Amino acid sequence: MNVATGLLHTALLAGGVPALAALGEVMSERVGVINLGVEGLMALGAITAVVTVVDGANPYVGFLAAFALGLVVGMGFALITVQIRANQVLCGLALTLMGTGLAAAIGKPYAGTPLPAVFPPVVIPYLSRIPMLGEAVFSQNILVYVIYLVLPLGLHLLLFHTRHGLNLRAVGDNPAAADAAGIAVQRIRFCYVAVGAGFAAAAGAYLTLCFVPSWSDGVVAGRGWIAVALVIFAGFRPINAVLGALLFGATTALGFLGQARNWPIAPALLSMLPYLATLALLIVPAAASPRVRRLLAAPAALGLPYYRDER
Amino acid sequence: MAYRIQRLPTPPRAIALTARALAVGLALITAGVALAWKGASPWSLAHEVITDTFGSAFALEDLALLVSPLILTGLSVWVGLRVGAWNIGAEGQFNSGALAAAGVGLFVPGPTAVVLPLMLIAAIGGGVLWMAGPALARAYVGVSELITTLLLNFVAALLVYWLATGPWLDPGGRAIGTTARIPAEMPAVWGGVHWGLPLAVLLTLGAGTLLNYTRWGYEIRVCGANSDAARYAGMPVRRHLMTVMLLSGGLAGIAGMFEVAGTVHHLQGGISNNFGYLGIMVAVLARRSTLGVLAGAVFMALLLNSGTILSTRGVDVSIVLAVTGLVLLYTAIGDEVAHYRLVPTRELPCP
Repeated sequence: MNVATGLLHTALLAGGVPALAALGEVMSERVGVINLGVEGLMALGAITAVVTVVDGANPYVGFLAAFALGLVVGMGFALITVQIRANQVLCGLALTLMGTGLAAAIGKPYAGTPLPAVFPPVVIPYLSRIPMLGEAVFSQNILVYVIYLVLPLGLHLLLFHTRHGLNLRAVGDNPAAADAAGIAVQRIRFCYVAVGAGFAAAAGAYLTLCFVPSWSDGVVAGRGWIAVALVIFAGFRPINAVLGALLFGATTALGFLGQARNWPIAPALLSMLPYLATLALLIVPAAASPRVRRLLAAPAALGLPYYRDER
Repeated sequence: MAYRIQRLPTPPRAIALTARALAVGLALITAGVALAWKGASPWSLAHEVITDTFGSAFALEDLALLVSPLILTGLSVWVGLRVGAWNIGAEGQFNSGALAAAGVGLFVPGPTAVVLPLMLIAAIGGGVLWMAGPALARAYVGVSELITTLLLNFVAALLVYWLATGPWLDPGGRAIGTTARIPAEMPAVWGGVHWGLPLAVLLTLGAGTLLNYTRWGYEIRVCGANSDAARYAGMPVRRHLMTVMLLSGGLAGIAGMFEVAGTVHHLQGGISNNFGYLGIMVAVLARRSTLGVLAGAVFMALLLNSGTILSTRGVDVSIVLAVTGLVLLYTAIGDEVAHYRLVPTRELPCP
């Protein structure tokens, strides 16, 4: 495997974590609910996957267990932010603190234990023999194909090419109008917030089942926040979000390459690259032109709970 | 008699405070139930925490040492909220302040009376610098400071870790991963408690006075409440936003300096000890009240201290973070529920 192939391979693998979480966050924010609990959900998903797989489950079961846990926690979050209408920023931060703290406490006995089973690579016949690209793109584990191809395309079609997608975007942009048109605002919000949280927890499971196959305290390392940032960068569009995640993955891969090749830069400094790159992704397009800023604008009712009475 | 539910735009003060108290109490009860479910006895643990915290002057000093950084990080977030900015990056500004202070402390020779003020200035500079990017991006490009300040936390933590284990590593030290002892020390005011605590209280009262009793403070609060109205009234919204955000960064930087010069005396990885994140809690618990910042800091210090005590009894210290989240969650719910009231519906006479 040459350098470029290796870089792309690692970039795809590393980018999968924020990509999956960002897709979930796109769902949540498109219906108008900002979920800042991604970091905590990811930690919970990661430790769920570790606990189940160390106890003998196969990776698929571990992954689904994490998704199910995220779904349940997400329902709780949706109940509080959508039905009770509590402040979304505070509840998200609370979820991050609770998830991170609980996962660290549960994970203590599992720290450093290598996982007995992880997702094996699925080599796609013929395509994997393409020079350069084949090894990097078509011999990944099954989740990589799902995260980069199936989910973003599916979500894009759902959001922008179906009646239901139009409805759910209306819920995020103008819930009062959507309500008047007979769309079940609260129900749609509840469902998409819960599923989005499930995605975030699944991203945590992907982290420990595919990328760093063991638990350690702080293993999530801000990837949840990076996912939230990527959604803003992507202008709340699923395909852009995944491409942004790939860029994030590339900076991670570059850091690994630097460490492997003994570049004269400290590993700690190379580890800063993904965060700085994400910051640049956030600020540069917005600074570029007001037109871009308008194009990438957030759903108009993002963060605002919907009160039917207040009209 | 039938009742219907009515939502008030602003909750009555007494109800809001009651909801707060209930939220905190319920969070602690939930944590106790969880501990009992795990097989521990919450009553005996609570008893130990209370006796260990208030039992000796030494323990109280430990508590006071936790209060002063929490006041300052809490104040940092609280000040930001007044102008409508969420500073989730107090953790990073704390680290960069600590780093700048340690740099001066380690490499600038001189008497303590000269070095300490220099460290303070460096720390303020470090905090302000760490906030400069997010403040500019928010004020001029409209990028949410929530995410930008937070992402810089990780950068600052890595930078501190790198310096403490690399270029600034104590060459003759036995401990791994810390710098040499910084010679300049904050003088003590009471036992092991340094001057950071009274200074933090003074800074809080000063900031509260500025915000509540000056024209500048009034304009800041208008900008925070409704920036469109502020702009229409001719207030320099951008300038106010920038000033307050940078001030917020500087305050968190001071917290870092106090920790380095008063308590830890080294620069080491993890020196920020989640003080920045807990500062968010302090600010949220305080609501609009200045004295609330002090009360919130004491409460969070008690919680943090309980975690340390419990960790010697086999309870994982990370649980404190989870309980903190629980308090925040219940507080958010309580704040919303406080808006509602039941009003009796009068039967209309039949025509």
